[in-house]
Amino acid sequence: MARAGGGGGGGGITNAVNVGIAVQADWENREFISHISLNIRRLFDFLIQFESTTKSKLSSLNLKLDTLERRLQLLELQVSTATANPSLFTSTTTTSA
Amino acid sequence: MAVPVEEAIAALSTFSLEDEQAEVQGAGVLVSSERGATSSPIEYTDVSAYRLSLSEDTKALNQLNGLIQEGKEMASVLYTYRSCVKALPQLPESMKQSQADLYLETYQVLDLEMSRLREIQRWQASAASKLAADMQRFSRPERRINGPTITHLWSMLKLLDVLVQLDHLKNAKASIPNDFSWYKRTFTQVSFQWQDIDSIREEIDDLQIFLSTRWAILLNLHVEMFRVNNVEDILQVLIVFAIESLELDFALLFPERHILLRVLPVLVVLATSSEKDSESLYKRVKINRLINIFKNDPIIPAFPDLHLSPAAILKELSIYFQKFAAQTRLLTLPAPHELPPRERQYLIANHIGTIRAEHDDFTIRFASSLNQLLLLKSIDGADVDWCKEVKGNMYDMVVEGFQLLSRWTARIWEQCAWKFSRPCKDAIPPESNGTSESFFDYEKVVRYNYNSEERKALVELVSYIKSVGSLMHRCDTLVADALWETIHAEVQDFVQNTLATMLKTTFRKKKDLSRILSDMRTLSADWMANTNKPESYLQSHGGDESKGNFFYPRPVAPTATQVHCLQFLIYEVVSGGNIRKPGGLFGNSGSEIPVNDLKQLETTFYKLGFFLHILDYSATVATLTDLGFLWFREFYLESSRVIQFPIECSLPWMLVDHVLESHNAGLLESVLMPFDIYNDSAQQALAALRQRFLYDEIEAEVDHCFDLFVSKLCEIIFTYYKSWAASELLDASFLFASDNGEKYCVQRMRFTALFKMTRVKLLGRTIDLRRLVSERMNKVFRDNLEFLFDRFESQDLCAVVELEKLVEILKHAHGLLSKDLSIDSFSLMLNEMQENLSLVSFSSRLATQIWSEMQSDFLPNFILCNTTQRFVRSSRVPLVPMQKPSVPYAKPNFYCGTQDLNSAHQSFARLHSGFFGIPHMFSIVRLLGSRSLPWLIRALLDHISNKVTMLEPMLTGLQEALPKSIGLLPFDGGVTGCMRVVKENLNWGTKSELKAEVFRGIKEIGSVLYWMGLLDIVLREVDTMHFMQTAPWLGLYPGADGQILQSQDGGDSPVVNLFKSATAAVMSNPGCPNPTSFYTMSKQAEAADLLYKASMNTGNVLEYALAFTSAALDKYCCKWSAAPKTGFIDITTSKDFYRIYSGLQIGHLEDSVKVSSNFEVLGDSVAWGGCTIIYLLGQQLHFELLDFSYQVLNVAEVEAGLLTQAHKNPHVAQGWETLLEAMKKARRLNNHVFSMLKARCPLEDKIACAIKQSGAPLHRMKFENTVSAFETLPQKGA
Repeated sequence: MARAGGGGGGGGITNAVNVGIAVQADWENREFISHISLNIRRLFDFLIQFESTTKSKLSSLNLKLDTLERRLQLLELQVSTATANPSLFTSTTTTSA
Repeated sequence: MAVPVEEAIAALSTFSLEDEQAEVQGAGVLVSSERGATSSPIEYTDVSAYRLSLSEDTKALNQLNGLIQEGKEMASVLYTYRSCVKALPQLPESMKQSQADLYLETYQVLDLEMSRLREIQRWQASAASKLAADMQRFSRPERRINGPTITHLWSMLKLLDVLVQLDHLKNAKASIPNDFSWYKRTFTQVSFQWQDIDSIREEIDDLQIFLSTRWAILLNLHVEMFRVNNVEDILQVLIVFAIESLELDFALLFPERHILLRVLPVLVVLATSSEKDSESLYKRVKINRLINIFKNDPIIPAFPDLHLSPAAILKELSIYFQKFAAQTRLLTLPAPHELPPRERQYLIANHIGTIRAEHDDFTIRFASSLNQLLLLKSIDGADVDWCKEVKGNMYDMVVEGFQLLSRWTARIWEQCAWKFSRPCKDAIPPESNGTSESFFDYEKVVRYNYNSEERKALVELVSYIKSVGSLMHRCDTLVADALWETIHAEVQDFVQNTLATMLKTTFRKKKDLSRILSDMRTLSADWMANTNKPESYLQSHGGDESKGNFFYPRPVAPTATQVHCLQFLIYEVVSGGNIRKPGGLFGNSGSEIPVNDLKQLETTFYKLGFFLHILDYSATVATLTDLGFLWFREFYLESSRVIQFPIECSLPWMLVDHVLESHNAGLLESVLMPFDIYNDSAQQALAALRQRFLYDEIEAEVDHCFDLFVSKLCEIIFTYYKSWAASELLDASFLFASDNGEKYCVQRMRFTALFKMTRVKLLGRTIDLRRLVSERMNKVFRDNLEFLFDRFESQDLCAVVELEKLVEILKHAHGLLSKDLSIDSFSLMLNEMQENLSLVSFSSRLATQIWSEMQSDFLPNFILCNTTQRFVRSSRVPLVPMQKPSVPYAKPNFYCGTQDLNSAHQSFARLHSGFFGIPHMFSIVRLLGSRSLPWLIRALLDHISNKVTMLEPMLTGLQEALPKSIGLLPFDGGVTGCMRVVKENLNWGTKSELKAEVFRGIKEIGSVLYWMGLLDIVLREVDTMHFMQTAPWLGLYPGADGQILQSQDGGDSPVVNLFKSATAAVMSNPGCPNPTSFYTMSKQAEAADLLYKASMNTGNVLEYALAFTSAALDKYCCKWSAAPKTGFIDITTSKDFYRIYSGLQIGHLEDSVKVSSNFEVLGDSVAWGGCTIIYLLGQQLHFELLDFSYQVLNVAEVEAGLLTQAHKNPHVAQGWETLLEAMKKARRLNNHVFSMLKARCPLEDKIACAIKQSGAPLHRMKFENTVSAFETLPQKGA
């Protein structure tokens, strides 16, 4: 690791050509890296967004199911009152028949 | 495997990710990155690669950064320190012997806490000495090492800031010395038996000195710094740097600005307190510049609830620094409490207009440049210049966004600090009227210190910050490469073009400086980026040398280290490597660099600093939108000696509450924004302060607040929709005519955005707000119905109109709400609350109530007025006092919403509360519907038959009391004689109880029948309406004689035809996607046709009721109507019903004349009951012939005729006028009833048939009832 010779007043880059080549290579490498990392982040963003929209779609579905469930409960209750008193229905049918 | 990354990612965007949820919350930080690009993620290890001989500087820099990190942790320990002494237990008298054990335990507990303080003490000592050493090393005049770099200067400033903050906290925290003195006491108690306590004691003494000395850390730092006398230079550099940055205020975000403001007074004190030349500072910086900065920001936020004031610091430190005490100009700065009110500057409410305009303008322009960027991405091979322009625009917008956010958030910080420095003086809350309740200091600075306008402005600003924050946060990955590209272009433009020009012109002669410039080029230029630009472009621009080097855009940003080095080198160029160079950094007149170049270098220098914030996009957004500090109140908790404040004092909840209470439609959608403050503060508690207990407290508060919020919100929603419905149902023309009509209008509000919130982010949880709201709405509608029924049950039958109105309002509110929110259908809820779900029972809660009300109150206690067609409550005290539940209490929104609407509707309902008539019958019909109405009718009919059965023995009793035969009344006695004869015959004196009982029975029967008549009228009207609506669809039309005729053309009805032809047309179209549904529709039309046609001919309720009564009377026919043996009419019989009734009637008429109020007791329904029975028994003609009162009237007529002829004795009939009048009235009424009965239930034909061939009449032939359905209805008990 070359240091600035002597010191005093600060030094410049000691091996400018080599550093220049390395910097150039660095730019190119980092282009690749940032490309990959950016796309990974996009992938993550997509997943997060997917999750959230799915959640809200599921919750809409859930709301509908809840409503249906309550309706169903009601209908079941009504049917149960009917089946608990079969005589009422059979007698009506016989009289009308 | 080799799928190109870009294509794969682009393919993801083909997924549809629409989300109907509005953005009414800030961006939740989903992934928090530990370290952003602002500081190098690899601790500047790559600096050495650039061979700039900065390794010493880098080492020192990293050391300082490490210390800053540690120092922040120390500060959070100190800030969140809570007193232990309060929690220490006291021993009761009985356990005094174990006092020593308690001391030991206490000591151990406190020792743990004190060891932390000791750690802070040790740390600050080492940090101070390291900082001092660092400063000394880098300010040697002979300068053997490169540095300090700008990043290094920043680290020094930051470390200094941490130390100042620590000192400030240590001074402010009262509980620490308190705990310490307790600790020391327990130590002396437990240590007397220990061996080696001297060292510990010494340590404790040290700590005591540290804790009890104000500004101990700064004093120590001062000592460390001036051990060797050459830090003045670097202090001056730091001051100059700070002042120039603050004055430029371009590249500073608010956290940095606050750091500089906090550090500056301390730096000034340190720089002027040196032994040497205290005035040299002012040679570099004019004192006015300093004073200006201090004056402009008299209050600087330090911690969430602690602030600093430069004036106070300077004043306080002057005691400790003798030299500095001479700086009178700085010491005369006014302290914050002495300042004239600067509300204009600090209060957000004064700036909100500008802020609003800025926000609106910014969001529009940001969105438009974002759209441009998206457009650009969708186009292949776009023009390069345009490309650059769009991306440059985006970059500008991001910079502007960061600056806006920084300014806004700083405003909130500063307003808070200002409010903390100026507690509310007259803290008398409006709700506690004068009670001498003491307030917390915190309440004075927060709760009562923000008026409603300030709260509104704060909510608005918070939501602007959060919404802009989330807007920017969302497009992070979208704009990232555009930003990189622009920054890359800027840097390359600087190093390749600007520097090249400079090298060629200004710096050609200066070897040293041009070397530095070329170093800059070496370490950051991206030469190769030029090579892969398109050929054509190269040619077109090739000749244009004057434009400078063109470089192909590369979406890669410079690293933090490159920026670090560039800044360092620019600084080197400007300062010439000499730290002692007089003057400022860039504002240097004595420099040999021309002003133009200096300006360019300066701009690039500050731009480079800002690049790092942009590269660190999401972290910067998160920092700038972090409003968690609004919750923290550790300092005030300590001074108020409470564990926690009630939530009313909590600023975030105050804001939520304000939004809810203000009923401001514009503010309502921001109601979730204040909850983001909780998110932020929870994040801070965990990530920055690292205190679990704080998080727990926040969580507890949030749980509580959110529950409160949801219930309050639902209340508001319900009230709003209720009052909306109620105001729509008020008569519009009436409202228009009334003076204060606008009082009944409801201010519109929009809840749609909130109704779509399925993912409220709260402390890492996701809450489905819509579901919570709809659950509560389902419940509150049911509760309201329940309440309405309860209320009806506690009132009489007349309240049915009001009930119907209220149910209608509720139903309308439901209709309005269910447009926005899916909730259970109203009929379902109504059936549920009416207990009307069973398929085998037709009674409902309401029908049962109406029936029991009629039975127990209406029929006995209401009297009929035939003229008005109304029943009114009898003035007589009822026999059995009614037992009713008291009227339940409910909030106004269970009626019509607001008080005003309630009173409007109530005054309407009051009109109907005193009687029972047609409107009530309409209400009953509408409320009960076709399901429960037959049940009620049946119950009433059974009531009639019961009453008839009940009457039978009583009538027998009355029959027995009559003489065997009663002849015609003699004419010769005149009216007086007649009355005497009647009295002789009707010897019921002993049976007056029985008489009254019979009267009541007949009255009830009459009431029921009249009630049926009303019901019949109403049902006719309803049926007609129904017919008019359905007839055109069913192809029906009314015939000439009231019959319903089917239209001639035969075949199907219009509705069936319509659907059939529609289905056929759709079928013929081959493109029809789903034909079966049309088939289903057409089948359903047929079913509807059948059903509606079947219900077209509803029966006639009154006729049915009369038929039923007649059948009920059949059983007693032989008893009440003795068939004469002769076969001819028997005028002397006394057993027939009409005789009894006739007697009762005349007695009653006589009574009524005597006591006028008596008549009221029974009303007109007696006539209805009596006449109907007479009519149905076939005794109408007998009655009309032989009724006593009729006979009396006849006598009176004859008498009157005689009198007019004779003109002799006008006083004969005197005294009887009122009675005669009453009799006439009764006759008129009876005639009315009979004519009605004849019309509705004709019996004549049948009686005519009942005359034998021989000519002898057959009394009371059995005749068929007119209504055939009657056969299917078995009588009760039959």
